Amino acid sequence: MVLNTAILGITVLIYLMIVFYLGWLGYKRTKAIDDYMVAGRNIHPYILALSYGATFISTSAIVGFGGAAGALGMGLLWLALMNIVVGIFIAFVIFGSRTRKMGKNLQAVTFPELLGKRFNSRFIQGFSGILIGIFMPLYTGIVLIGGARFVETTLGINYDVALMILTIIVAAYVITGGLIAVMYTDALQGTLMFVGMAILLVFTYVRLGGVVEAHQALTNIAYLVPESLVKGGHMGWTAMPEFGSPIWWNLVSTLVLGVGIGVLAQPQLVVRFMTVKDDKALNRAVFVGGPFILMMTGVAFTVGALSNAYFFQKKDMISLAVAGGNTDLIIPEFINSAMPEMFVVLFMLVLLAAAMSTLSSQYHTMGTAIGHDFYRQYIKKGKISHTVDVTKIGIALTILASVVLAYVLPISIIAPATSIFFGLCAAAFLPMYIGAIFWKRMTKEGAIASMLVGTFSSLSWLAFVHAKEAAPLGISQALFGKATLLTGTWTVVDPILVATPLAMLTGIVVSLFTSPIAKEHLEKCFYKIR
Amino acid sequence: MLGIDDPQIWVVYILCVLSAIGCMIYGALNWNKGAEDEEVE
Repeated sequence: MVLNTAILGITVLIYLMIVFYLGWLGYKRTKAIDDYMVAGRNIHPYILALSYGATFISTSAIVGFGGAAGALGMGLLWLALMNIVVGIFIAFVIFGSRTRKMGKNLQAVTFPELLGKRFNSRFIQGFSGILIGIFMPLYTGIVLIGGARFVETTLGINYDVALMILTIIVAAYVITGGLIAVMYTDALQGTLMFVGMAILLVFTYVRLGGVVEAHQALTNIAYLVPESLVKGGHMGWTAMPEFGSPIWWNLVSTLVLGVGIGVLAQPQLVVRFMTVKDDKALNRAVFVGGPFILMMTGVAFTVGALSNAYFFQKKDMISLAVAGGNTDLIIPEFINSAMPEMFVVLFMLVLLAAAMSTLSSQYHTMGTAIGHDFYRQYIKKGKISHTVDVTKIGIALTILASVVLAYVLPISIIAPATSIFFGLCAAAFLPMYIGAIFWKRMTKEGAIASMLVGTFSSLSWLAFVHAKEAAPLGISQALFGKATLLTGTWTVVDPILVATPLAMLTGIVVSLFTSPIAKEHLEKCFYKIR
Repeated sequence: MLGIDDPQIWVVYILCVLSAIGCMIYGALNWNKGAEDEEVE
């Protein structure tokens, strides 16, 4: 990549200085436990919306999923629609308000704590904490590798050094400034991302001669889809894949439903609902959040698909061929080739911001899960009083774990980490979380059963059936001599379609057969919740 | 429509934009609703 290093260097430096200033501001404003864990429950709606959005959208959502759209086409826009409708509207309006009130009623400062206190179970809090503590570092590992690779290629720094610098910078403001620092820096990063993606969209359409013209150009080259993809059901970049084909299942079950619904039970996102004072802030955040996500995934998927039309006009090649078969390179190749140099600099910063905003929230969530939920509340039964100190140690340990994992584990295991984590959250937490805030009849036993069934059925499906993870993990191969235990369409059905309904059913049945939670406790939980 | 033949794609393209606008309308209509002091007992 040929870039004016001086301009890029200065831009990155200015950016980092502002990040440090915001981190310091977070540190100054952190006085009590609530400040460190849930930003004092008094965050501005604009900051909430951008922080939620920037955490939600990592570099991989732009580069990875944008590249996937370069290969699969605009059908991915169904995921963008899910991101806006489920990820923002339903999340804020239907889940957010109840979560905020219950979090306040129960004085909960993390997502596992909300669930644990609602069902009167330290086990739920501890188990959720350890689940997050074990599986989230994998997900963090992949974001970290992506961010470090970016710093390596753009600034020309050695990969190991890049990884260390990125880790230390993010660790510094997360550990000292807590969630206030995380959310302030997120808001800056989110603003950068919004501006960058808006410019990207406009430039892409201008390059291709207009909105309708660009789409038409893409429709016209459907005959260029490689034979292997056509066999899988691909019918062109402006068409849905053939109904029921492997590509259709992958698109609809894993991408649209798996990622689209999985977002509701992401601990690092749920905790954000507890950072605002009232529902007014949540309503205002919806105003910012909807357009923000449209500008992120909507633009990334549209531009990813349209890159085919651009490369066809310039090089007589489709994007997949330009990127040498690696979908992760489609967006970077397109940016470098189609955009003016100044924008390349800005876009590099956008990607760095996207990586840092996701990383910081992951560190904070993992640290609170291990330090506060697992160690302090479950192992020590809440008997030690220094929540913030324990959490800081938790954050430091989990950061170390994700760096070590990023080095030790082969990429084939880390690459599916995002979908593993999303699937696990949807199965283990979502049914119990829905029960916690909507269904008073759900019992402690029902919640525990649902969590355990969700966890283990999701993990089993990933390890033994869903080919995308089962094959690289190799557990099924080692135990049974077969890459997957089931064959045919089952191997492309995402765990969320199997494990989540199973966990939900378990939760309902077990709850109905066990005695309800005491009325006084429910009254406390649902105080002021209509 | 919009240079896209498959209705499953142009519909979702339009829905994405409409849903984002819908979020803005919802936010604007409820801009001052749900303040802490007016919550129901």
